[in-house]
Amino acid sequence: MNATIATQMFGADFLKLRKKRSTLIWALVLAIVPIVIFFTVNAIEHASSSSHEAAGGINSFHDGVRLLGGLFFGPLVAILIGVEAGTTDSSDGVFRDLVVTGRSRLALFATRVPAALALCWTVIIAAYALIVLGTFVFASNLPTPSGSLIVEGLGFVLLATGVLCMVAVGFASLIDSKPGAIIALIAWQVIASPLISSISSLGSGRNFVLTQAIAHFGPAGIKDARGTEVVMSGGTALIVILVWLAVFLGLGAWRTRTMDA
Amino acid sequence: MPAEPLDPSASDPNGAGPAIEVSGLTKRFGERTALDGIDLQVPRGCAFGFLGPNGAGKTTIIRTLLGLTHATAGSMHLLGHPVPAERSQALQRVGAIVEEPRFHPYLTGRENLRLVAAVRGPEVRSLIDPALARVGLSDRAEDRVKSYSMGMRQRLGVARCLLADPLLLILDEPTNGLDPGGIQEFREMIRAMVEQEGRTVFISSHLLDEVEKTCDAAAIVDRGKIITQGAIADLAAGGEARHELIIGVDDAQLAQTTLDASELVLETVPSHEGLHVVLTGGPETAAQLNTLLVRAGVGVMRLEPVRHSLEQRFLQITSRLDASAAPEEVRA
Repeated sequence: MNATIATQMFGADFLKLRKKRSTLIWALVLAIVPIVIFFTVNAIEHASSSSHEAAGGINSFHDGVRLLGGLFFGPLVAILIGVEAGTTDSSDGVFRDLVVTGRSRLALFATRVPAALALCWTVIIAAYALIVLGTFVFASNLPTPSGSLIVEGLGFVLLATGVLCMVAVGFASLIDSKPGAIIALIAWQVIASPLISSISSLGSGRNFVLTQAIAHFGPAGIKDARGTEVVMSGGTALIVILVWLAVFLGLGAWRTRTMDA
Repeated sequence: MPAEPLDPSASDPNGAGPAIEVSGLTKRFGERTALDGIDLQVPRGCAFGFLGPNGAGKTTIIRTLLGLTHATAGSMHLLGHPVPAERSQALQRVGAIVEEPRFHPYLTGRENLRLVAAVRGPEVRSLIDPALARVGLSDRAEDRVKSYSMGMRQRLGVARCLLADPLLLILDEPTNGLDPGGIQEFREMIRAMVEQEGRTVFISSHLLDEVEKTCDAAAIVDRGKIITQGAIADLAAGGEARHELIIGVDDAQLAQTTLDASELVLETVPSHEGLHVVLTGGPETAAQLNTLLVRAGVGVMRLEPVRHSLEQRFLQITSRLDASAAPEEVRA
């Protein structure tokens, strides 16, 4: 497969994802609405009580980055889009029509990943831009984040959501069920991961929790962006992330290659 | 007795062998055998029907040929390429609709074709407009597929096949959901593809009448086995190119005696319509028989070739199979 075909296939997969209105709307709602609510509520509180600090500034920036990257909403966006990319051909019944073109099934799987990343990051960048905008617009007399911190924060949210998005593509391709993949991944992300991370008796076994490995790369300048439950080295965190990607992308590719279409 | 397979290169301008060649193809799903040692040859440049009742294995053989599922045993060639070894090259010039044409419903017809064009290669995008025009969907190309009727989806499915500029089209139950007008249009399109463009069209169907009207040759499959294959006329005649006549006469006994003594006649059977005569030769011998009878003093009131229907033959075969299977089922 040459670069021209790869580019065309990426464009085709991106088209499928961006035109899927329900997924795109939910992704935008999950990424942007919490941030809008966050700044709106803080602005109202600040307006009604001078003892409440301004809605913008460095602290709001920290909260926004944690909201988008480390906690709930960014990962949810990544899961929604990754699962959609992993299952849309199969659930719409067109996977077999792509297979009968003679194109390798691995190539069909491989192009889902960058397409999902492209859409996920587009949404996340839009939400991140909103955080930065709110941080400065509502800063009043509070300090604002430096340029390097803004770049670091962006890198972190892209890493956090990008890794989860790729895992979601692989997992959804593996189990070939959109509802099943969404439920399982959200349950893992929201319930199982924090629970396992908080069980100190598991010791270094908790290193294998993906969110803890990702949190290790949270910007040092953003308070609490790094995971607090589990301490691991940068090398270990990197290896854990790569293992997660290799396992789930590998299983997704294997399933796509061998399944009856 | 199964008819001899058609000469694979008979319609092949390049003499490049059959469009589809399958030998000993077996597919099992656990304990169940869906395809049981299938041997099949589809010559190039014809419309070939693949007939069988529901559950006979028609879709399974198509899915296996296209690499949608793996064969348990046997060998397959598509357009001369062994599959699955050279599946990618084989499918470059193959267009297929399996079961029913499916699309992303939230995309337009043109966008759905763009997706497949992107996968097939950069040169294919220029074929989208001609393909849409060919199936009469140019004016609905920008509408979302979810607003399409079943007939329009079938046509869009054919347009998607045409993006391969196919030497071989494989269509699984292509007239499902079409109204009579749509079926007629579809039939004309298939015939044009075969006669004017030299493509090979492989049509799986349980609609005997449709295959008889559209196809040049066919194979009948039941319970995972090819029962017979050959030219439509030969199949309908009972596996051999038999020519038969109904002859109405004024003296049936004298006529039968005369005909039985002739080398032109294989068999004479009285029926309520007249004498049912099986010829040893072709239809041109009818005139000779007429002369023979008149010279013997028999008045000939009617002399009509028997038109065999594929449906009669199909029912004959499948009811025979049912009868032979029944004792086993009772024993089981």
